[in-house]
Amino acid sequence: MSYSTFNKNQINPLKEPMFFGNSVNVARYDQQKHSVFEKLIEKQISFFWRPEEVDVSRDRVDFQALTESEKHIFISNLKYQTLLDSVQGRSPNIALLPIVSIPELETWIETWSFFETIHSRSYTHILRNLFTDPSEVFEDIVINEEIQKRANDISQYYDDLIFYTQLWQTHGEGEWEVDGEMHTVNMRELKKKLFLCINSVNALEAVRFYVSFACTFAFAERDLMEGNSKIIRLIARDENLHLVSTQQIINLWQYGQDDPEMKEIAEELREEALQIFMNAVEQEKQWAHYLFRNGSMIGLNEEMLCQYVEYIANMRMEAIGFDAPFKQRSNPLPWMNKYLVSDNVQVAPQEAEITSYLVGQIDSEVSASDLGDFEL
Amino acid sequence: MSQVFKVKVNGQHQLTVDASQGNTLLEALEQAGLEPHYHCRNGFCGACRVQLTSGDVTYINDPLAFIRPGDCLACCCVPASDIEINQ
Ligand code: FES
Ligand SMILES: [Fe+2]
Ligand SMILES: [Fe+2]
Repeated sequence: MSYSTFNKNQINPLKEPMFFGNSVNVARYDQQKHSVFEKLIEKQISFFWRPEEVDVSRDRVDFQALTESEKHIFISNLKYQTLLDSVQGRSPNIALLPIVSIPELETWIETWSFFETIHSRSYTHILRNLFTDPSEVFEDIVINEEIQKRANDISQYYDDLIFYTQLWQTHGEGEWEVDGEMHTVNMRELKKKLFLCINSVNALEAVRFYVSFACTFAFAERDLMEGNSKIIRLIARDENLHLVSTQQIINLWQYGQDDPEMKEIAEELREEALQIFMNAVEQEKQWAHYLFRNGSMIGLNEEMLCQYVEYIANMRMEAIGFDAPFKQRSNPLPWMNKYLVSDNVQVAPQEAEITSYLVGQIDSEVSASDLGDFEL
Repeated sequence: MSQVFKVKVNGQHQLTVDASQGNTLLEALEQAGLEPHYHCRNGFCGACRVQLTSGDVTYINDPLAFIRPGDCLACCCVPASDIEINQ
C-alpha cells in the first residue's frame, strides 16, 4: 500500500471513508462527503491573522514589574504552549495526510496545521519582545521535566500511528521485525491506532490550553501583558475550531456516519479513550500545581484553576458522548468568557495600536499638496 | 402563525420566547437570568450545548459543532415550537 501523491485510479470520494480509503487524487470541493470540513476551512481562513500585527511592546514594561512567581507562571505557560504548537504544527500533517481519503478533510488538516504554525511564530514574537535573547526559554522546553512529561503523552499516539502507517505503506500487512521487535500490522490495528491518536489530539485541543489561557486572561483582567492577551485570544479562537474538528471526526465515527469499522472500534476502545481524556485533565491539574509552587498570582490560585479545568472537561467530554465526570457544573472563572467570545476578538489590522500595519503597504491617498513641487 | 413559544428549563423555570425577535435561545436564557454556558457565541465551540428533551429548534446560523441527537446549540438557534431543555 505505498502512498501515491496522485492516485491514478478512478475513485468516488463521496464513497470513501475519512481515513484509510483510497488516497485522494483530485482536490475538488464541488461535492463533499462531510461538508462540515469545508465550512471549517472557510471559517479558519476568515480568522487569518499575523502575530506581527499585534503590538506587544508595552508588555516588556509590565513584565519587568511582575513578581518572580508571576514571571515563572507567565514564562512556563509560554513554554508549554510552544511545545503544544510545535507538535500540532507538524503532526496532523505527518500522521494524518498519508491516510486521509476525502479531499475536504485533507485540506482541513493542512489548514489546521498551518494555523498552528502561526501560533508558534507568535510565541517567538512575544518572547523576542521580552528578552534580548530568548534562546534560554526555548532551550528549556526540551530539558524541563514538567514539560517533558507532557510532551511524552502528547506525542506518543501520533508517533505510534506514524510508525505503523510507515510499516504498512512500505511492507503491507503482516508481522514485521524492526530493531529486534515484532510488530503486527493489519488494518484493524491501524484503525485502532488512528482512533486513539484522534482522541489524544481531541483531549489536547479540548483542555490542554486552558490553564495557560486562564493565567493570561487573569493578567489581562489586571490590565497587564495586554499584547500577549490579544494574541492568546486569537489563538483561543483558532483552538476552538480545531477542537470542533476532532469532535466531528469522533462523533461521525460513533454514530456510524463514516467507516462502520470505526464505529465498532469506538465502542471497543471507549474505556481507553476515556482514560486518555482523564489523563490529560490530571496533567493539567498538575500543571496548575507546578505553576503556583512559588506562589499564586492575584485573582487566581491552584484550586480555582483546577475547578476551571474540571468545568471545561465536563463540557468537552459530553461533546463526545461521555458522562460529565466532575461535580463542577458552574463556571468558576466567569470573566474568562469575555475573552473567548469570538465577536470580541478584533482581527488586528483595524486596531489603532497596531504599529506595523502600514509597513510595506502603499499609501493610496494622494492629496494635491503632496504634488505641490511637482512640475512637468 | 405566532412565533411565541414556551421554553421550559430543567423542568422548573418557564420562559416565553418570541422567535421572530431575532434573539437566540442563548440570549433568551440570559435575559431570564439563567447563566447558560457559552464561549464563542458563534456556533463553532459547542460550549452552549443543551439537551433538547422536547420540541424543535431552528438554526439561524449554520453551526460547525457536531450536534448529537437530543442536543441543541443555544447560541445559534431559536425555538420552532414549545420546547423543554436541560442545562
Ligand atoms: S457558544 Fe460556541 S457554539 Fe454556542
Ligand atoms: Fe495552536
Ligand atoms: Fe490547535
